[in-house]
Amino acid sequence: MQENALLARITWNTLITLLYFFLLAPIIIVFIISFDTRQYLAFPPESFSLGSYVKVFHNAKFISAFWRSLIIGGIVGVVAVSAGMLLSLSLVRYKFRGRAAVNFLILAPFLVPHIVLAVGIMLVIAPLGLLDSYPGIVLAHLGITIPYTVRTITMSLMAVDTRVEEAALVHGASPRMVFWRITLPLVRPGLIAGGVIAFLISFDEATISLFIVSVKASTLPTEIYHYLEYSTDPQIAALSVILILISVGVVVAVEKLIGLRRAL
Amino acid sequence: MADHHVIIDNLVKTYPGAQKPSVDHVSFSLPRGEMLALLGPSGCGKTTILRMIAGLIAPTSGAIRLDGEDVSSIAVYKRNMGMVFQAYALFPHMTIARNISFGLEMRKVGRAEREERVRKALDLVKLTGLGDRKVSQLSGGQQQRAAIARSLVIEPELLLLDEPLSNLDAKLRDEMRDEIRDIQARTGVTAIFVTHDQDEALSMADRLAVMSAGRLEQIGTPREIFDRPQTEFVASFIGAGTVFEGKVTEHGLAMVEDLKELRFVGDAPLGSPVKLMIRPHRLRLLTDAGQPNRFSGTVEHIVYRGQTLTLNVRCGSRLLQADLPTHAGMLPERGSTVTLSVAPEDVTLVGQVSP
Repeated sequence: MQENALLARITWNTLITLLYFFLLAPIIIVFIISFDTRQYLAFPPESFSLGSYVKVFHNAKFISAFWRSLIIGGIVGVVAVSAGMLLSLSLVRYKFRGRAAVNFLILAPFLVPHIVLAVGIMLVIAPLGLLDSYPGIVLAHLGITIPYTVRTITMSLMAVDTRVEEAALVHGASPRMVFWRITLPLVRPGLIAGGVIAFLISFDEATISLFIVSVKASTLPTEIYHYLEYSTDPQIAALSVILILISVGVVVAVEKLIGLRRAL
Repeated sequence: MADHHVIIDNLVKTYPGAQKPSVDHVSFSLPRGEMLALLGPSGCGKTTILRMIAGLIAPTSGAIRLDGEDVSSIAVYKRNMGMVFQAYALFPHMTIARNISFGLEMRKVGRAEREERVRKALDLVKLTGLGDRKVSQLSGGQQQRAAIARSLVIEPELLLLDEPLSNLDAKLRDEMRDEIRDIQARTGVTAIFVTHDQDEALSMADRLAVMSAGRLEQIGTPREIFDRPQTEFVASFIGAGTVFEGKVTEHGLAMVEDLKELRFVGDAPLGSPVKLMIRPHRLRLLTDAGQPNRFSGTVEHIVYRGQTLTLNVRCGSRLLQADLPTHAGMLPERGSTVTLSVAPEDVTLVGQVSP
């Protein structure tokens, strides 16, 4: 009996370890390859150096695309949170005809494959003359990030006791003051979580961006894609490691500051 | 009446889609400094009235007059009301001092005066020195004190309290009951509170307004409500009791079902139908013969409650409940026959008797 239990536990632990290894393997391999000195991607590396990292920091295309991605991600984060706040308020606080339909439409981007969305968004943005422009890529990213901000903010908003808002009203706060002084501070965790998620999605997104931007408003993921079309050297691995570190850094910073898990 | 501080005039609230009004032509008034209890079972419309006075919901028709001026169309945040919510509804992201200061900030009161008034409000509710605490660091009773301070610091026209004691445990409830009464008396603020608990209403309020199904049944002092209920609903809702219907045969004497003769005090014309109520604690075990209002019956059920003994005595087809003091010496047993009596002045005449 006891031996059986022991065996079961060992099997279980091995299985979990393998599963984690499988999930983390690509990241680990990319991390190792990024230190290789050869001019093509291969595993295992022959010798190690930081040369690829130096090259990435001297690649003007990558650097300018990085700043563009940062700016686009920042704008997308702020706008997606603002729009998400308005949508959440109307969905949580007001009963109107077609509320269920709106709720479903907001979730729709979760269900449609990104490649399909990409074609759709491109067909909308092209006639507006916004292809390969900041407004174009921001609009495209808003389309896929707003569902996330609505999600996180709606969760926070539903946890706010409406009696607290009523108490503020009765004691002299106009509806505008109630929003700024009571509602907004109380949904802050949802705003921050939504903003971080929207930023990260925009920062990492490649599929839709490839349809919208080419040169002027190219983002870092699209630059990586185009780079890969012509050359595969460890620079890409080094850049990937940097991107992973940035994402992890943002999540850890927010976690330390306000507790992302609580916010989610 | 006309010079009363608060006048509620024919207030009606019908929610969209509802068949019957939630509040149905309710009128009452309060002189300055009075504490009124709106009492009734859940769903009787008492909270709806409170929320209409606060301005959180708009009445369908009727007026809410403060010093003669109808405020029912004034926006909630301009009405200058103080309100204590059932679960206190303190602002969870602010300290206690900021909570109390909130109404003053909205009124653009200067910082120095704000701090002074918050300090005084904290003293008033005995939370001196706790202004820097977070809401979650306070006990239920302290949170309620903070909620009262937040409402009073703005010197409201009217203090509204929605089931103020329902979230407290029994011991704290008695303490806060006296406390709220005391604070109200000291500040002299006119106050209306909503409750479904008759003990709370009887012990805290100057007057009670008893409501049922959206209508005002009776308004009066606790004594009037208890001893002179105008309707059978009031008689049965406030305190327990058994109601008997009968006909007046002599002055102060009625023939009622099951008990035959019942003497009472009160004006009821000969031959008119009356409803008379006997309250359990007004019944006595008969010691000397020759008293009026004697009823004999079999004890069907006994509950020992420490200070009192509750007997259910079958008199004819009715069960009469009697709460007897336990020092009564000989205690009756189940199945034994006892004789109970009630003084004519302790028989409650229900309602106004129409000739």
